[in-house]
Amino acid sequence: MNDINGFVRPLKRHGLVLLLLTAGALLNLAAAPAPGQEVKPSVIDPHADALMKRMGDYLAQARFFSVKAEVWQDVQLTSGLRAQAGRIIDLQVRRPNRYHAEVHSTRRSRGLFYDGKTITLVNRIKNFYGSVAAPPSLDKALDAASEEFGITLPLEDLVVSDPYHSAMQKVVSGTDLGPVTVLGTPCEHLAFSLGLVDWQVWIEDGPTPVPRKIVITYQDEEGSPEFTAILSDWDFLTTLPDFVFNFEPPRGATKIEVAELKARREAHKKGGK
Amino acid sequence: MIMTLANPASRKKLTCGLALLLAVMPPLFAARQDQRQEGKAQPERAPAPPRAATVERFNHGSIRHVDTHVVQRPVVPPHAIDVRREVDVDIHRPRFWNDFAYGRRMRSLPTGWISLVVGGAPFFYCNGIYYQQQAGQYEEVYPPIGAAVSVLPDGAIAVEAGNETYYYAGGAFYMQQGGVFVIAPTPIGVVVPELPPGAVEVSVNGAVAYQFNGVYYQPIFVDGVTQYQTFLP
Repeated sequence: MNDINGFVRPLKRHGLVLLLLTAGALLNLAAAPAPGQEVKPSVIDPHADALMKRMGDYLAQARFFSVKAEVWQDVQLTSGLRAQAGRIIDLQVRRPNRYHAEVHSTRRSRGLFYDGKTITLVNRIKNFYGSVAAPPSLDKALDAASEEFGITLPLEDLVVSDPYHSAMQKVVSGTDLGPVTVLGTPCEHLAFSLGLVDWQVWIEDGPTPVPRKIVITYQDEEGSPEFTAILSDWDFLTTLPDFVFNFEPPRGATKIEVAELKARREAHKKGGK
Repeated sequence: MIMTLANPASRKKLTCGLALLLAVMPPLFAARQDQRQEGKAQPERAPAPPRAATVERFNHGSIRHVDTHVVQRPVVPPHAIDVRREVDVDIHRPRFWNDFAYGRRMRSLPTGWISLVVGGAPFFYCNGIYYQQQAGQYEEVYPPIGAAVSVLPDGAIAVEAGNETYYYAGGAFYMQQGGVFVIAPTPIGVVVPELPPGAVEVSVNGAVAYQFNGVYYQPIFVDGVTQYQTFLP
């Protein structure tokens, strides 16, 4: 056996090789994550992140604003068909603690008010309303509405005090998909993923970096339904006095209860009566 | 080179060098990968877990509270059953039993009717509506407790109370018993997304309520929209 084939000689001559290979493997193990340790390299395009920051800061600095949204949402019908249901949202916000939304569709019409102390829901078709006490800031009121009463105040991601941080804190990846026009307005199209839920936003180019379209795709739900909001009529000039946010019961309105999530869960466990 | 390898000392050095190279290459490669990722971000999705359950949300449209109000069901329901988690959508759902009108009479039964005997009394049934013969005609009647059908009415809505799942259609609450669905007494305290067809508005202790077949429903905001809860006055 010549020296070129020396690598196939008895192991004792290559004990050092094995030792070093083992050391190498150990080094690799040391570099690898420990079992159970999740490694999530940041794969957020810095440009996409910067555009989101710009949009978030712009909305955060607005003391008040109004906007209209046309929302389309996937619905799975019992026939197996997937359809879309639409509604219009008229939103008015005055920081730090005023919110009013009117949500209209063919068969429904409802209002949602927050005046810094109380969240009020109004069913304008049936003329019902119900109120619950709320924390004194918009962020806490939005969280309380969702966590204690299961109420998602429409377009809340635009309303929070720091829209950038609120939207980006759970993002695992994101990219800038380039320029796109939304209803004639030049925008930058960004896409982000939370893991099993993806969202996209189209941000207006130029000095008013507001979102013009938002799509949320729920990959973890059957059929991966989507929520789409097309935003228009942004208004940062018209002042919004208190009466916009203070609820006055319409004539003949009936006050009804607002169910708490906790109470419902307990009732659910007990099985009614 | 061949002459060099013939020397045992040189061979040992080469062996050590190769081994060291093998040891350090993977970490170096990994470091280069990281650098590449920093340089050019690419969208990356975590591998989807196997579908052991179906995820449902009560509200769509929020990134902030995307995981706040989520329900997991163990199996995907058949399409004929309406599992209505999403509360804030407005869509017309055509269902045969929506047309129920208590006491309405007709000369003939609709296509697809079957005959049933409930508590010794004869009934006719078609897709969520029950009939009895009156003066040679067929009169729409309230769903009789104990009626058993092999197929749920189209568009029956799954509602949960305790550990039980009811299927709500035409004002009746069906429970699965083996291979059939039997109308159970109305569970008190259960919340349904819509009133039974033809429920009548009444006043109970000065409050608005609705009555259907002796059962009372009070309006209540659940998940931000109006739903109806059964109660005893």
